[in-house]
Amino acid sequence: MCRERNNKTMIKPAFKKIYVILDEQDQGNLEWILQTLSFLYSHLNLTSNIYLVSENLSDSMPQVERIQKNINKFLSEHLFARLYVHIVHPAPPSDMDNIRLCYKYLKQSTDKFDQEGYRHQELPRLILLPVFVPDDQVRPSQLIDLLDELKKSFLLPSLYLNKGTLNLAEDEKLLSLTDKVYYGIGNSKKMTDVVCNLFRQDILDDSLDKIEINDLSMTGPCPDSLIISAQDCNVYSCMEAFLKNESPAKIYETHSQKEFLADYYQQDKSKRDCLGCREQVIGSSVGLPMSPSTNQQTGALLYHLGMLRQESGDDFQAVKNFKQSLNLSPIEETDSVYFRLGLGYTKIGQYDQALKAFESVEIAYQGQYFFHFYKGLCYFETGDYVTALEEFSKALQSKPQHDDRIRILIYTGTCFNNLGKYEQAIDELERARETENNVKEIYNTLGFSYFMIKDYDKSIENLKMAVEIDPFSAIDYASLGSNYREKGDLNMAIGMYQKALALDPGMTSVRENLERLNKNL
Amino acid sequence: MNILLIEINPFVQETTPISLGYIASFLKSKGFCVKILTIGQNTSLSSSAFQELISTFKPSLVGFSAYQRIMLYITGLAKFIKSIDNNIKIAIGGPQATFMPSAAFAELPDVDYICRSPGELTLLGIARAIENGTPFLNFSGASYKDDNNAVFDTPELEGYTDLDRYPSAYLSDVFDYSRMREAIMLTSRGCPHHCIYCYTPNAFKHKISFHSVERVVEEIRWIRKKGVNRFWFADPNISYRPSRLIEILDNILKESLEPEIWLQTRADLVTPELLKKMKRAGVRTIAFGLESASERVLSRLGKNITTEKVADAIRLAQNHDIEVELFTIYGLPYETFEDAMKTLEFVKKNKVKIMGNTNSQQLQIYFGTHMARHYEDYNIRPLNNNRPAYLSIGSHYETDHMGRRELHKIQQMWQANSLDGGKRIVS
Repeated sequence: MCRERNNKTMIKPAFKKIYVILDEQDQGNLEWILQTLSFLYSHLNLTSNIYLVSENLSDSMPQVERIQKNINKFLSEHLFARLYVHIVHPAPPSDMDNIRLCYKYLKQSTDKFDQEGYRHQELPRLILLPVFVPDDQVRPSQLIDLLDELKKSFLLPSLYLNKGTLNLAEDEKLLSLTDKVYYGIGNSKKMTDVVCNLFRQDILDDSLDKIEINDLSMTGPCPDSLIISAQDCNVYSCMEAFLKNESPAKIYETHSQKEFLADYYQQDKSKRDCLGCREQVIGSSVGLPMSPSTNQQTGALLYHLGMLRQESGDDFQAVKNFKQSLNLSPIEETDSVYFRLGLGYTKIGQYDQALKAFESVEIAYQGQYFFHFYKGLCYFETGDYVTALEEFSKALQSKPQHDDRIRILIYTGTCFNNLGKYEQAIDELERARETENNVKEIYNTLGFSYFMIKDYDKSIENLKMAVEIDPFSAIDYASLGSNYREKGDLNMAIGMYQKALALDPGMTSVRENLERLNKNL
Repeated sequence: MNILLIEINPFVQETTPISLGYIASFLKSKGFCVKILTIGQNTSLSSSAFQELISTFKPSLVGFSAYQRIMLYITGLAKFIKSIDNNIKIAIGGPQATFMPSAAFAELPDVDYICRSPGELTLLGIARAIENGTPFLNFSGASYKDDNNAVFDTPELEGYTDLDRYPSAYLSDVFDYSRMREAIMLTSRGCPHHCIYCYTPNAFKHKISFHSVERVVEEIRWIRKKGVNRFWFADPNISYRPSRLIEILDNILKESLEPEIWLQTRADLVTPELLKKMKRAGVRTIAFGLESASERVLSRLGKNITTEKVADAIRLAQNHDIEVELFTIYGLPYETFEDAMKTLEFVKKNKVKIMGNTNSQQLQIYFGTHMARHYEDYNIRPLNNNRPAYLSIGSHYETDHMGRRELHKIQQMWQANSLDGGKRIVS
């Protein structure tokens, strides 16, 4: 009997990228790498990328050659698999001839796949992609000659540029020969740093792809990639694991490759702050010489990350993301960023900054009740109750939703209270009570207003409602105590003060009041 | 009995495998257990995961949709499947298989059947034969290679003319809607025309058959309910019967289904009234086949249409604010470099954005086309006569008027004018 109800098939994700840091010195480590790769090939995505990262191509050639043979064998046995092999290494001016020779040699071993591709009228299943890490001394013309030559041999070269070599990105001819430019943060040429920067670029590209197809699932793990280091014979499940020197095998004290995979799929990724990592990567890419469209997309990404942070209550990080987004977003898309930034500042108590952000979108958001409410809230918190009242009034005129209307009326009443206009406060708060009779804040604010105009009975009536809704509200019992005290009912006052202190022993003014009353009695 | 149907194209994003969907729902309705696996550019799938799928699902039959550019991958997967379980039978079907010479079996050591007739009925016959323990007896519509490597062709099978007899892939829920970005619909099959470069008319014997309007609307309604609002109508000529299309569009409007629609048809099958209704019902893009803007070349393609007619159709669609895409081909017989340039100029002059499907492509000479059978009559010179027998000439040829260099130059000209770098969506 067929049990397949629909076509949903749970298939384990496959590795799409593997970064291999080569170690020219140790032959034993090479054997370990070959074994590890041989195991991992069957867990690679049908189309995947391997980065072979070396300090010096000429010195690493024995390793690169062995790995390439290993790859050729896998591809020959799996006619449905495709591999892009990126060979990443420095390109010092003194070594250009050697580099040419190395590629000439490596290219010969891909002939078989070139012919296969030609016969099938398709791209070859194995493509070699040199990635040059130029040093600060190299002249564009030296690279142009090399790149031109490689391109003619169907090797598509890329460049890895960082702070010291960014000027190369200004050479149009060089860029026209370059398949892709990877940008590294900082100035380090250490291969471990290069790998991290390549990984960062991968995360950035993945995030940009996601935003382009409106896939907003940014909280999950980054693309399934691994870092393999011949230098310490470890496999790392992602960049963060690599930076923290946490190999799944070390973390869980398992040793077999099978167990490593089990750890990878089931545990390791779930322990990581993937959103934070993605955020850090995207943030650090700001300022790199990307195309205007990539910059815009990065701006959109940061905005989206800001929203995710705001939803999770991390407003400090949200503000950081929105600020970076503003620097990259086109002017016509900044309104919503400014609004969200204002909201973020409001939530972290930086009201002046919030008001500045809100001012930038005054025209776009004018008439939206929530905009006026948050502006009013900022003025309220900075003690400018008159302007706050103006904003709350605009918010009320803009047809807020029911719950928000109640909230705005309570703030309006509190503003009037703070301005000493208790009758007006009572008017607003009574309006709120007419439509909503189960909100504590309406009653205790009304209690305060009536107390101030010495209508103690009304004040008590409202405060009783407040403690009925929230029997653990110490401040409302204290206010009841003060009302009874003013009315001369000292026993009731003492009782209420005692209740307040029982709920919150830290209320010193209540304790003092109580002591005074006890003395008087 | 379990059957696995696979569509692989590692060069494009996953799409809804509508043809496999039809076969899956048909076989399911006959009691078979069927799974579809789509492998696209964005699919995460390793060989070990694939092996696990084969080992746990244990299909007795695996069917592949075969296209020219993925034949290598099919041979690889077929070999891998047989290495897991040599008893699994493997069939290929689809455009590449229908007219593939049986001699191709010699280079397809792991393929047991090449399906030639409508997939639903052909695979049903094969599946029943396998289930009965006689995998090479009592079925039609396919060629096969028996256990002794002897090759046999069976008689053709006629498909149903009333397409509603095939259960709906959508209504049978054979697809995973959570991954579906766009529903591909086939409200009709076949084409009565005689374009010399096209596979469809010969594959369907110049006939066209239809689903009922009720069935089409029911599917759209169901797909919308599943949360998918983008529809790609893949019928070669959806307005072949204008009154039928109008009825479909009327129903979409009446039920407020609000889909976003892409469709294609011939430029001589649209009217202002039809386009107006299309726009209202949600047609965002309409694609017409121009092929060549050289009247001299166009008149010899058997398409029976003029550039003037195509220009009129473009203008009409644009007036109704419907985006236009134009299918064009270069490297056609009799076409000179100047003729090919005329096509590019025509597209620009008529303000059709050069992107997506409007990116031109070189003529592909596929099995089953008039061109493939008579290429010598058109002075087509294949470049690689050592290609595997499972591949047709494809784009590896030169013509009397254009060599590789000219063809490459035309390709570059199109790329230079393209807004998206020349990425085509359909082939």
